[in-house]
Order: sequence, then structure tokens, then C-alpha cells
Amino acid sequence: MLLFGVGSFARAELTIDVTKGIEGGGIPIAIAPFGGGAPEDIAGTIAADLQRTGKFAPQSSGSPADYSVTGQAQPGGSRGYVVQFQLNGAQGSQLLNLSFDVPANQLRPVAHRISDLIYEKITGERGLAGTRIAYVAGGGGSWYLVVADADGQNPRMILRSGQPIMSPAWSPDGARLAYVSFEGRRPQIVVQDVYNGGRRVVSAAPGINGAPSWSPDGRRLAFTLSKDGNPEIYALDLAAQNPVRLTSSGSIDTEPVWLPDGSIVFTSDRGGSPQLYRIGSGGGAAQRLTFEGDYNARPSVSPDGRYIAMVHRRGGRFHIAALDLQTRQFRVLTAGGLDESPSFAPNGKMIIYSNGQRLTAVSVDGSIKQDFALRGNGRDPVWAPYGR
Amino acid sequence: MQHFARNLMASAALALMVGCAATGENTGADQTGVQQDATAQPGITAQPGQDAYSYAYGQAPSGYDTYDASGGSAGGRPGQAVAGAGGAVSADRIVYFDFDSAEIRPESQTIIESNARSLAGNRRIITQLEGHTDERGSREYNIALGERRANAVRQIMIALGVSPQQVRVVSYGEERPAAGGQSEQSYALNRRVEIVY
Repeated sequence: MLLFGVGSFARAELTIDVTKGIEGGGIPIAIAPFGGGAPEDIAGTIAADLQRTGKFAPQSSGSPADYSVTGQAQPGGSRGYVVQFQLNGAQGSQLLNLSFDVPANQLRPVAHRISDLIYEKITGERGLAGTRIAYVAGGGGSWYLVVADADGQNPRMILRSGQPIMSPAWSPDGARLAYVSFEGRRPQIVVQDVYNGGRRVVSAAPGINGAPSWSPDGRRLAFTLSKDGNPEIYALDLAAQNPVRLTSSGSIDTEPVWLPDGSIVFTSDRGGSPQLYRIGSGGGAAQRLTFEGDYNARPSVSPDGRYIAMVHRRGGRFHIAALDLQTRQFRVLTAGGLDESPSFAPNGKMIIYSNGQRLTAVSVDGSIKQDFALRGNGRDPVWAPYGR
Repeated sequence: MQHFARNLMASAALALMVGCAATGENTGADQTGVQQDATAQPGITAQPGQDAYSYAYGQAPSGYDTYDASGGSAGGRPGQAVAGAGGAVSADRIVYFDFDSAEIRPESQTIIESNARSLAGNRRIITQLEGHTDERGSREYNIALGERRANAVRQIMIALGVSPQQVRVVSYGEERPAAGGQSEQSYALNRRVEIVY
């Protein structure tokens, strides 16, 4: 097991540890140290990023490899540093040759950008190195909402509270987080602008205010309210005043998430045990989606709408499972225990989740697994969308 | 920031409210926060340290305290009950539940009855029933289960003559365990309703 990327020593920093990769160890890629004297180990960051995908086996320069990366980062250009790199194939063919003008504080982000360019060139999939995650940390008196880079570095505490924080959800543009805050010792749904810290309480009804989820266009939030006696699903147009109720049952209806077509998947125990159901954007008759086992809850929808990840209980253990809506194949992805809170990466290939203490990511086919090594705990992880 | 607290109070009957923003401007310091306290409710004491403070991403602190619920430090020792959500709740105000259940056990009846007598005898007391679950399963689903437990206690209290206006319900789900660790014993202590007044 390899441990990467402990660049600084802020408390509660995350690092990531690849515990499982694809068969054969991944595609060999030789990465030479970047010359030029920039105060950042760009080659090391690229190697760590590619290693973490589970699809590459970074080598030191000079080793035989399918691909090679060389580059330079030196003072100059209009912004402080010029970073240039080349990606070559085994026969010496040049696949990428790019250059960036950046200030010193953008050297790490540029390294992630280069990692994603290499990853995308070779695999044809969008990379995740430049993305971010949010999660909840703390407990027992102090709770924190943290935004970190996808390699676990650069954690930023954007909210701290003396009361629980739960269920963060990124807006589709990645600029806002909706979450549940118990400040004042009652639950409220708050939308916080990540970049200026501004907050707006969007629901503080009597009873539960829970499980916020953004519509694909970012204009509406679905969430759970129990003001009418038991938990029901509501949708609120953020430009309007009153949430519209979408479910009507005497049971628990909660954890709504939107599919790209505007329909909503949620957890309900209307059949006696918690299972996932689907309703149209305006409510209506619910269609049951899950039939495996006696507990399927907390859905997360892949960006293309094909997969639903969930918390699945079997034999008393809680696993992350994924349902393929096209083939109806149901796959248990984790060994299980206390696994909860799955969230899809924006490329739809990885799912981050928690066991209540630590964060882990698993690929949708179960073949790749990454542990996020925390100093301190993390739960309720959510992977941010692309774009900013 | 004062708007925030006032709005919150005023919104108790509304499904929706718009609070003012708290911005992290330049300092990233504590004055960026959203202030006190939604619950100027009788019977519930506002506790110091329950404010929430937001920060702009660019100014947000990178360090924060760590906390490990499994390690048995701040949040309670394995298998041993500690103070409840808002401070110490004595044993005669805690109702425990079976796994996956909101049914009142026969032995809990006495606790509910004695608290109901106190409340029915003094209509000015407001109680908050705080529902909790163990840590297993989905967090938001556990919020719903905790509310179901608190409502089960509430119904009995009302049947015993307590005014519905005297009894508020809040569910913390698994967010405020009474006991740390992953033992059955800890789980049993965490599946509870605390009668707070």
C-alpha cells in the first residue's frame, strides 16, 4: 500500500491510499522530475494522482513504460511561473505538449490539471484530480463542514457549529452547498455560497428538515419535511416561497435525489422495510426500484442517470451497492460493515462513501478502491461536480 | 446578523424563511458567523458554543479539531452512557428502544407516566422529546426513525393528559450518540428518547 501526498501538516488533513487497483497493476507510465526549481513537486503530484485512479502504475524516469511524462516549471511568464509538459507514447510519439502561465499558488492545481489531461488522453474518460469533495467532520460538541481537493489535500473548513451538521449536497454549478444544520437545536436546511460564505435558510419548518438535493438545473431543492405528521418529500423552487409536497403516505419518505430526467428517487418504508422508489417530478404513483434484501436506502444517482448507488443491508452488515437501471443488475460493491452515504464522482466512475469515521471511494464495477486516510473523522462525503 | 435569529423565531409557523447572509469577508474570524439562537423557547436553555460560523472558501481555516467517536474520548466511552445532547439528562428521563423499533417497552411506561404527571401538573413547562438511534444505517433514515420514537413517547404523554402544545419533538438520528464504540451495549444506550425540560 502506498501513501501519497502529505505536503503540509494541517490537522485533520486527508491523504489517500490506494488499496486496490486493476489487475496487473495498471498502465506503466514513467514520470521524470520537473526541472526549473518551482517550489512544488509537480511530478510527484502527477504520479500520486495517476496512481490513485487505480489505472496507472507510475514509474521513475528511465524505466521501460508505455508512456512517459517530462516537464519543466520555472520562474517566468506573465504570472510568475511557466509550467510545460510533454506526454509521449512508447515509440516516442508526442501525444501532448502544453504550457501554462500560473502564479505560485496555482502550481498544485496545475499539476492536477496535467494529471487529468494525461488521464483523459490515455483512457478517454474525464479525470477527477482537479475536482473537490465536501464532508462533515467532528462531532461530540464541534461539527465542521469541510471542502478538500479530491486528493484529500487543502482541507478548508467552510462552516463550524456547536450543533450537528448533516447531508451536504453540491449545487450543479459547484458554487453552493445545501446542508442540514441543527444550530439553535432544531434542524434547518441552509444553502451556503462556498466562495463568499453567505448563507440562506431555505427551510425551518416544524419537525424534520432533512436530506436536501438539487434539481439538475439547480433551480429547485427536494428535501424531507415532517410538518404534516410524518416524513414526506417536498420540492422547493428556490425563487418561490412554498415547497410543494410530492409524496403522501403514512410511512417514512426521505432522502430524495433527482434523476437527469427530473424524476425523483427516494427511500420509503411504505412496504414494511426501507426500499428505493421513484416518482415523477410532480409526484404521483411511486414505482419500487429495489427488491434485494430488507434495507436499501440513501440513493445517489450517477451523472448520466444510469446507476443508483445506495446503502444496502444484508446479514446485519451495511454495504454500498449499485443498481444499473438499464440492465437491472444489482451489485454489492463493498465488503460491508457500517458503510453509508454514497456519492458519485462527476465522471460517474467512482463512488465515495463513509463508514461513519473514514472516507473511501470505490469504482462502480467494484474493481478499484481508494482509502482516504484521515487525521480525524469524515462522514457524509459528497463529490463536487465539474465546473466552477 | 440579528435578522437571522429574529427571522428564525418568526418562521416557526412558516415552512420557509430567508435569513440574511453571513459572509466570511476578509478576516475569516468569528465575526463572520451567524449568531444565536433559534430557540428562545421556554424550558430549553440556549447553550454557549452552539453558534454556527461560516467562512468564504478562500479564507476558510485549514485546521480544525479532530474527533474520533470510536476512540472513546470526548463523545463517550464505549458501552457507557454520558451526558445527553444538551447536557446531563438523568436516567428517569430516558426511554430506550429495541433495534429498528419505535415500540415502547413495558418497563418504559413508568418513566413516561411520571414525566407526564409533572408536565400535566404544570402547563407552563415545555418539554422537548429528543429522538436518537444507533449509528447503523443511513443517517437521514435514522433521523426519521428517531422522530418516530419521539412521537411514540409524545402520543402516550398526550393520552395521559399532557397538552400537545407542551411537547415538542426533535430527532438527532445518530448524530448525538450517548455512548461511543461499536458494541451492542453502546448501540442499546444510543437508541433512546431523552425527555428534556
